[in-house]
Amino acid sequence: MKLSKSSIGLIIVSFVFYLYATDSFSIFQRDSALEIVDFSIENSTVNVDIPSNPYRNPYYGDLHVHTKYSFDAYIFGVTATPYDAYRFATGEAVKHPLGFDMQLKEPLDFYAVTDHGFYMGMIENYADTSSKMSKNEWTKPIHNINRPENVTVASTGERADLFSSVLSREIINKPYPWWHPNFLGAWLTNNIQLALTSFDYDVHKSAWADVAKAAEEFNDPGNFTTFIGYEYTTSTEVEGGNLHRNVIFNSSNAPIRPWTRIDSLNPEDLWTWMDSLRDNGVDSLAMPHNSNGSNGQMFEVETFRGNPISKEYSEKRMRNEPVVEMTQVKGTSDTHPLLSPDDEWADFEIMDKRVGSRPPTYSMPQGGYVRDAFLRGLTLEWEGRGNPYKFGLIGSSDTHTGAGAFDENNYWSKVGVLDGTDMGRGSVPLSQDRIDQLTQYSIDFNQPVSTKEIEGKTYADVGFDQWGASGLAVAWAEENTRDSIFQAFKRKETFATTGTRIAVRFFAGFDMKSIDLNSEDMVKNAYAKGVTMGADLFSQANQTPQFLVWAQRDKLGAPLQRVQIIKGWVETASGTPKEKIYDVACSDGFAADPVTNRCPDNGARVNINDCSISNGVGAGELKTTWEDPDFDPTVKAFYYVRVLENPTCRWSTWDALKAGVKPRPDLHKTIQERAWSSPIWYIPDSSDLEIIPL
Amino acid sequence: MSLRIIVFFLIGLLIFILDVAFNSEQDSKDIYISDQELTSLLSAWQSQVGRPPNDEEIVNIINNFVQEEILYREALLLNLDEEDRIIKRRLAQKITFLKQETVPEDPSQEELKGFFEQNKDNYYVPATYSFSHHYFSKESSAKERATKAFYDYQTNGVELKGDPFFLGKNFYQNSANEIKKNFGELFFSTIKNLSINEWSGPHESTFGYHIIILKEVKTGFSPPLEKVLIKVQQDFLSQAQDKAIAKYINEIRSQYRVIINPDYKF
Repeated sequence: MKLSKSSIGLIIVSFVFYLYATDSFSIFQRDSALEIVDFSIENSTVNVDIPSNPYRNPYYGDLHVHTKYSFDAYIFGVTATPYDAYRFATGEAVKHPLGFDMQLKEPLDFYAVTDHGFYMGMIENYADTSSKMSKNEWTKPIHNINRPENVTVASTGERADLFSSVLSREIINKPYPWWHPNFLGAWLTNNIQLALTSFDYDVHKSAWADVAKAAEEFNDPGNFTTFIGYEYTTSTEVEGGNLHRNVIFNSSNAPIRPWTRIDSLNPEDLWTWMDSLRDNGVDSLAMPHNSNGSNGQMFEVETFRGNPISKEYSEKRMRNEPVVEMTQVKGTSDTHPLLSPDDEWADFEIMDKRVGSRPPTYSMPQGGYVRDAFLRGLTLEWEGRGNPYKFGLIGSSDTHTGAGAFDENNYWSKVGVLDGTDMGRGSVPLSQDRIDQLTQYSIDFNQPVSTKEIEGKTYADVGFDQWGASGLAVAWAEENTRDSIFQAFKRKETFATTGTRIAVRFFAGFDMKSIDLNSEDMVKNAYAKGVTMGADLFSQANQTPQFLVWAQRDKLGAPLQRVQIIKGWVETASGTPKEKIYDVACSDGFAADPVTNRCPDNGARVNINDCSISNGVGAGELKTTWEDPDFDPTVKAFYYVRVLENPTCRWSTWDALKAGVKPRPDLHKTIQERAWSSPIWYIPDSSDLEIIPL
Repeated sequence: MSLRIIVFFLIGLLIFILDVAFNSEQDSKDIYISDQELTSLLSAWQSQVGRPPNDEEIVNIINNFVQEEILYREALLLNLDEEDRIIKRRLAQKITFLKQETVPEDPSQEELKGFFEQNKDNYYVPATYSFSHHYFSKESSAKERATKAFYDYQTNGVELKGDPFFLGKNFYQNSANEIKKNFGELFFSTIKNLSINEWSGPHESTFGYHIIILKEVKTGFSPPLEKVLIKVQQDFLSQAQDKAIAKYINEIRSQYRVIINPDYKF
């Protein structure tokens, strides 16, 4: 009696609301994703003057970190909290799910926990058998998965299956019946996820508030910077092209909930939301990542809906996405050997599968790498559509254990139990019980063969061998504060590294050659006479631009081998994209060959038997000024720097060495750690100029 | 005898009928919003947005409130509040806040002093170093050049001049961690043993050789209570609140009996 009465009441209420809604929609529907919360806590540190350097310092950080609140991380056995993640970044040791310590050689300057916004906090709630959600039959496989006795290597197969199956469409998309209060609430607050039976908004909000609180607690102006952030985990609808982006906010003010793929799969809608937040005083930026696994969709020449790119699209994208994470554990997206056949360093940590694809599926390189994107941007601009790909470069780890693995010699990859051992990563031959487990996994979960025979030995073959110990985001900022570093990202005055702490300065102007490279005022003069990475260089009476580059080695890494400038342009007559790589500074007193533009071999070698490297070769720093020998003043072009270290052992070689076995023969045994600057764009004719407001 | 029972029965029936007749609408459909409630809604809005709401926004605020109230009441009618862990937690939280507020706002000077003495380590200000250096890049016979430059300076007063260093020449009030980060451990172990205002070198780092002058060392110190009073007050208060809750639970816990199935297999 009581029940039916209330449901009749609800029907009437919703009907009345519907009637009202038809003619005055906005009064009754509000957008919960635009509700802004001040997450600041009273942080009463002793007030000190924060030293500020007008010529800027390089600050190293990671803007892509997952903890237990991410749906997949929890399935991978991770119970590390955002607080653990920040403790790790400030130098403390934290535990890997498999029990060993993870610790940095040197603390980082900034860090952002960016859990998946989609279903943030929910999986932990399913696993907790006292929760309301855990009463649902379908949560059973998840119950208590991360109780210590369940976090084992043997659970890898089940976890891999949970990752790909539990959040399948049937479970996630099951809505409440239409008369349910949550259904009405979802509509009234423009918050679709409320209507889903698998979703608990309170759990979700408190996870997000905890992420924000951890960021606020650890933010320490002058010493250590944090950002409130999350990952918007979207993909193309048909072929599963990865369109993931991280979003970070510039202050303690952030929306009450992250805006996720449930709200929309279309990144343009994300930018609309970010624009609205900006109108309400909350600035944010989105950083795409793993374009390599997007099947060419990240830097497509059309929009998500398949429409041609317009100037408005370009402006909106650049307003919201000034930087791209181009290197991380799941591969590096500088360029691909198929895209850059003349680049001898293109074959670097290539991950050629679509992100999260089961079974692993090839990802088309065109449209998936940043150099190609810069060229596509120039082409689009040449067609009069604006340049949507005029972004700066950063790296980050994408770790799912709270702790980034940046070091080849101390590598735990990123997906917890799944790749926390050398055997799981495919660098060391499998023991018989691991072979049996992987075979059973393929049978139980209908997966392709997950082992591989190489020279009589059996290795895991689930794709982790293509992952690597990378990368870091570096910002040139006046001081280590949230505002100063955020502004560096907006200016694109950033560079990316593969985990090494190389530092690089890069300037362009028309009078750089007059700067004395041995003067204390070199940087001051370079700022005064030109522009720096991320900026536009406007033509001055058709003069040839001159570049100044200065790179410093990582004091704990290998010495530098060479500095390169990579140029890309579009031939005006034909619209053909072109690229060329110049070695501009060589170590050990060498000069680049003027015909091949290559430095001679400096003789640096790696001893594969113990991973030692040649002594006494390579440079502590490299600096030079350079003028483009093939310059055409009428052609738009971009220039960015790539700094290469002497070769060192790859993580897979270190794994093998530590296990006392031979390195796997089909993998690269060594790598050259490197850094990439954001480009400087040369803009030929000022009448052709398009200013994209940031 | 039996009549009496019948009378009682009839009276009971009457009361029941009256109750049904007058109290059937127990869950009234009126939503009464008091003046205080309105004022607090509007001022909360203003404190978040920074200006008073306009007419449309006021309508919005009230509608949001009404919607919440409707959903809340409908949920109550469906008994959704019963055995809900989140509601339990929220109520537990509320009583926690209530108990926390019973802590006296202003601790005495004596209390603060005692607390500060006990937790002195939390307020320690670490040492900083201010120094300048001339840098000789590893690329070109750094040690020889540095040695010569320093010799010329000491014997003939020739001005010291090296190569530009990536992060500059002068470093002001750098902590040990910053120096280690920028120059490495070796350099820091050199710096901390130098005498003040005296050029010395060449000292080695990963990047080459340095001739260094240490200008000022601010030794690490525990600041006096006055300098960190606000922080100490906050820390004291939050500790006092934790204690108050613990005390409250301890007092009341003895009145409860916890029963768990002894045969339950954990």
